[in-house]
Amino acid sequence: MNDGKTAWRNIRIFASLVLIGAVMAPIFLSDASWPVTARDYLMAQGQAESGAVNLVSAIYLGYRAFDTLGETIVLLIAVTGTLSLLARVESLVSPGPEDTSSPNAKGFSLSLEKRVSHALRTNLLEEVTGKVGPIVLLFGFYVMLYGHLSPGGGFQGGVIIASGIVFLALGNPYEDKSVLVRPAILGGMENIAFLLFILSAMSGVFLEEGFFGNPLAVSGTPEGFIILMNCIIGMKVGSSLAFMCIVMMGGANHD
Amino acid sequence: MTILLLTLIILLAVFALFSSDLLHGVVAMSAISLSCAILFYILEAPDVAITEAAVGAGVSTVIFVWALRHSQRKEDRHE
Repeated sequence: MNDGKTAWRNIRIFASLVLIGAVMAPIFLSDASWPVTARDYLMAQGQAESGAVNLVSAIYLGYRAFDTLGETIVLLIAVTGTLSLLARVESLVSPGPEDTSSPNAKGFSLSLEKRVSHALRTNLLEEVTGKVGPIVLLFGFYVMLYGHLSPGGGFQGGVIIASGIVFLALGNPYEDKSVLVRPAILGGMENIAFLLFILSAMSGVFLEEGFFGNPLAVSGTPEGFIILMNCIIGMKVGSSLAFMCIVMMGGANHD
Repeated sequence: MTILLLTLIILLAVFALFSSDLLHGVVAMSAISLSCAILFYILEAPDVAITEAAVGAGVSTVIFVWALRHSQRKEDRHE
């Protein structure tokens, strides 16, 4: 009985692997040439038109900025769904007297006296994250601000900023030492960043460049728009991811 | 090197599919993301490598482990 069940599971997994292989095989076996039109155009014109040395930034904030709007909306919906799910889970697994399974999962970011257990928060962790956090934040701002010149950009810098904020939240032995780790502030930052993103996307409309058009296209510094968009996206991604992580660690229970 | 990394990714993916312990699967997924990040860097796409390392190996692993901590372990097989 048990062997039959396991064998059936293995058969299903093998069948799905074979099906995936059958779907992917034409891609590997075909000898059609890669499309080169967009690549050649971007290599020739991209840097002059957008002012960005890093062509990836030029594409995702210049030529394909509408996709970036979709990605930020996807992130917003993901964070919203996670938070609503979390609120439901917290109400479902309310700490009863028999709930001893994960006492230290809650209150992970609480202050020293209120914590139930120190199993996850040792002195070593607090010292190291508290000192590394600002450096990680600085590196995240570097990646975000220099996204038009070096590899990186708003999304990458935003994720690094989010981990820096989480380090700061882990590294302080007291509550509310830094205003950056409060969930309410982070949520507000995310909303403001999204509003700014839409506003700066619309700013090209008034200068006859269209939605997501570069309002600085005719001036001498077209890369200013990419730097602005990178900053806004970095703020949005960083605050939303840090918000999610801090709420997941139990920071919203006492806010 | 590329072929080595691709083979490693496939082996880890198969391991993640077949492992019965979910935590082992999460660790294998994290290793897949790390191998992918190295692969992207070798293929001269450092932007994607940064994203893959930060999101795939970092944030998603944390979220998976957090979800595993909050779920209950239940053996489905009747021994």
